[in-house]
Amino acid sequence: MPDQTASIESQFWRQLKKNFINWSLLRQIMSFVLFLGLWSIIVVLVNYFHQIPTPKAVLMALFDLPVSAVLINILKSLARVLAGFFLGILIGFPMGVAIGYSRVAKHLIFPAFEMIRPIPPIAWIPLSVLFFVHNESQIVFLTFYGAFFPIVYNTMGGISEADIRLPRVAMSFGLNKRQMLWKVILPAAMPQIFTGMKLAMGITWILVVAAEMMSNNGGMGYYVWYNHTVMDYPHVVLGMGIIGLCGAICSVGISWVGNYFTRWQRIF
Amino acid sequence: MSNVKEETLDLVWKPPTIKSKIFNQGTILTIISIVSLFLAWALLVHFRVYRFSLLPSPAEVLEEGIAWVKTSVFWIDTGATTLRVLVGVSAAYIIAIPLGLMIGWKKVFSDFTFPILEVLRPIPAPAYLPLAILLLPYQEMSVAFIPFIDAFFPVLLNTITGVKIIDRDYFRAARCLGSSPKQIFWNVVLPGALPSISSGCAIGMGLGWMGAVVGEMITGKWGLGYRIWESYTLIRYPLIVDGMIVIGVLGLGSSVLIRYLTVRLIPWRRAITESLDESITQ
Repeated sequence: MPDQTASIESQFWRQLKKNFINWSLLRQIMSFVLFLGLWSIIVVLVNYFHQIPTPKAVLMALFDLPVSAVLINILKSLARVLAGFFLGILIGFPMGVAIGYSRVAKHLIFPAFEMIRPIPPIAWIPLSVLFFVHNESQIVFLTFYGAFFPIVYNTMGGISEADIRLPRVAMSFGLNKRQMLWKVILPAAMPQIFTGMKLAMGITWILVVAAEMMSNNGGMGYYVWYNHTVMDYPHVVLGMGIIGLCGAICSVGISWVGNYFTRWQRIF
Repeated sequence: MSNVKEETLDLVWKPPTIKSKIFNQGTILTIISIVSLFLAWALLVHFRVYRFSLLPSPAEVLEEGIAWVKTSVFWIDTGATTLRVLVGVSAAYIIAIPLGLMIGWKKVFSDFTFPILEVLRPIPAPAYLPLAILLLPYQEMSVAFIPFIDAFFPVLLNTITGVKIIDRDYFRAARCLGSSPKQIFWNVVLPGALPSISSGCAIGMGLGWMGAVVGEMITGKWGLGYRIWESYTLIRYPLIVDGMIVIGVLGLGSSVLIRYLTVRLIPWRRAITESLDESITQ
């Protein structure tokens, strides 16, 4: 009996070794250490880079971070990103479904989209400033515009590239058009739809930072740009890190939701 | 008798005539779509719906655009933006493609570099701007740095995915036949990853244009992005739309050019990854 527990224990250790204490993970940790070490050494030794903050300065800046102000900035940016993103889903998703599902809708809507799409979202800033009264709605328009096209295009692509055998099977089982859309085609298109959403989330973060840098209305982009103007570079790097973290969390959240909607993939 | 003959002739498939190519449902709807887009724009501005009265009308845009193309300013702006995009994006290609090939191929190399790149990846390009201004000696370079960052990560990730999806059997076969690592790199890794790299390059080019506009709007002296912003401050609103159109056309053109070139250069591309284009970008 004790022999068996010992073997279980050793198995536990083996698992631990396999998952946590191996060379690959050690190298990954080493890579961070090396990166931070190189960064500090270069900044200290090479005179040209003397204005770049060292990792230590960034860490110190973390302690005198104006927490409440930064939290408000994060919430502002996040609200703008999410507002644009969900507006993009709300309008873009049905349009993508319509374009992917119906040929008439495709010919009627798609060419107009193709005309507008190549214009980068940032170039819309002056027109959106002219058109929208409030600064918030200007920024939300930009994030919406950035999220809209990836969502439409990937929804459309996911539907039109769905395996043709699936609708055929469904048809031979006698599903009507509505069931076909909800039970067969949309689930089949889900992986690519969520790819589009991830792309859209990345682009909305780029846009929100750019738009906040140019306007004067709070948010993390403004925080970074403000600290640049007062030459407080440790806080610039810290702000970049916070923005990156927020973007990463949003993208992880989307793949988390996406896992739920594409759970049929695990069956096959 | 002749009647029957005509009927059978109808059933035989005929190549579409020029007339049927032009006058089918799809083309007509496409034309309706594009015309209605411009018509909606013109009418909304003309009848001053909500705040559309503040926007320039298509006629004004056309007029101002023609005047702008005739001046040398247009060519300087376009040239400056194109140069920045080309410099930034080709620097991204030059660094990201070899890096991605090595990361996808060698596990040890990947362990040492990929975690850091994963940490840097979610930071949006405009957030790098203050550091770029600080770090790079010329303003031109800090503007070109944003297209670089924008293009870098899509190209890198597509290259890594491209190497990862190569069939393991190719490596085994090459090693069985006694290839050196160098031969494996040039004959297996690189050709296998090229289709995915090419779609990464096209995406990177598109994002590069976006990045150049951001950089020029925030810190610039020349360029289309700067011109758009300047026309806004000088209240020459039609010129804003002209700038947007030129950027759109150039961005689209460069992406299409890259796709076309890569289809030509990589004949085995179409067979492998026609649908990979969209799905790899995550």
